[in-house]
Amino acid sequence: MIFPEKGTLCCITPEEGDPVLYSEQVLGGGADMIQLRRKHAPGRDLCRWSEEIQRLCRRHNALFIVNDRLDIALAVGADGVHLGQEDIPATEARALLESGKLLGISTSSVEEARRAENDGADYVGFGHIFPTGSKQKSGRPAGTGRLGEAVRSIRRPVLAIGGISDGTLGEVLEAGAWGIAVISAVSAAPDPALAARNLKQRIRAALR
Amino acid sequence: MAPVKPGLPRLYMVTDSRALSGGANELPGLVRRVASALPIAVQLREKHLNAAALCRLGAEVRNALPDNGSLLCINERTDVALVCGASGVHFPEASCPVGQAIAPTRGMIAGKSAHSPEAALSAESEGADYLFFGPVFETPSKKPFGKPRGLKELGEVCRRVRIPVYAIGGIVPATAQRCLEAGAYGIAAISAFIGNDDLPTILDNFQTVLSGA
Repeated sequence: MIFPEKGTLCCITPEEGDPVLYSEQVLGGGADMIQLRRKHAPGRDLCRWSEEIQRLCRRHNALFIVNDRLDIALAVGADGVHLGQEDIPATEARALLESGKLLGISTSSVEEARRAENDGADYVGFGHIFPTGSKQKSGRPAGTGRLGEAVRSIRRPVLAIGGISDGTLGEVLEAGAWGIAVISAVSAAPDPALAARNLKQRIRAALR
Repeated sequence: MAPVKPGLPRLYMVTDSRALSGGANELPGLVRRVASALPIAVQLREKHLNAAALCRLGAEVRNALPDNGSLLCINERTDVALVCGASGVHFPEASCPVGQAIAPTRGMIAGKSAHSPEAALSAESEGADYLFFGPVFETPSKKPFGKPRGLKELGEVCRRVRIPVYAIGGIVPATAQRCLEAGAYGIAAISAFIGNDDLPTILDNFQTVLSGA
């Protein structure tokens, strides 16, 4: 899989609602990646949703990534898996993924980002950058200073995550982020398709 | 040549380390004590643990099993099973279709839980190698899976599928015999192994019942 060009917008599915419908909306708005993240859903649902979202992503030339559940990613042949620090160890996941499939790792420090790269990550999520209500996050926000440090420390694309909005997007991209990953900035909007389209346009404008 | 799937033990232990006073740390030792008495299948089913912890605990449990035909299965997660070198994966009723889910493991044993005859038939057609059917009797740990299905329905399922069926739910040595008479291949239990002061006697009794199977 080829990672999207700089300016990537990754939309993570919210915990509520139909993730297939949501994916269809945000892909229509220009999202480059969908990450299916439903911590408590039964395997049967994850499998069915994954197949449908994967199909939508193909149609929109976007990537489909499964959060945490490498078992589901392998079963449906997803484009990749996104793992946190308490999921399957990155080196093990790398060994289980077919060549060409993507491995993304969530990190919150420069050390974690370096380790993720050494362990074989294709891209790194870094955050949370700003305070956020989407994830129950402990610890202080990393801020754009440390984001910049992480970007300079590794050669892989870094997706910034956590509390990123229209107002802070410029600062995040200036720090060198390859793109952004969002949940509530899009999912909590009255029109997720429009919210995704606006974010994508602002990313493009900021990178020009 | 692909490795031959080992024969399935008749006794199947399902873990729940939250019920152990020493938690997950106590589990490998308990598994070793049970498996030293007779060959078992053990299913690591620890819904409260993250995948990293499951991989570590799975490797410890696998190492605790004696080389007597005992084998380790992991609940649902084929990725965890691959990482810790398990022999199989046990899928809940609401899982990804068995054939599709097990394919990446290239030949692991695939089991599936069924709580009705219809679910049992569909699990078999999905490609399961064995089934859990229950709850057969009243039991606190299987309350979420509805009212007891009883011995009659267990017998019906055993007649209608061609794969081995383990009876689960409220099974103790005293009731195990009746499940085998109804056609069960083996017995699966959670509570029978946990918080039991007289584990050696329980295991002796299971062995007596199962040796006639």
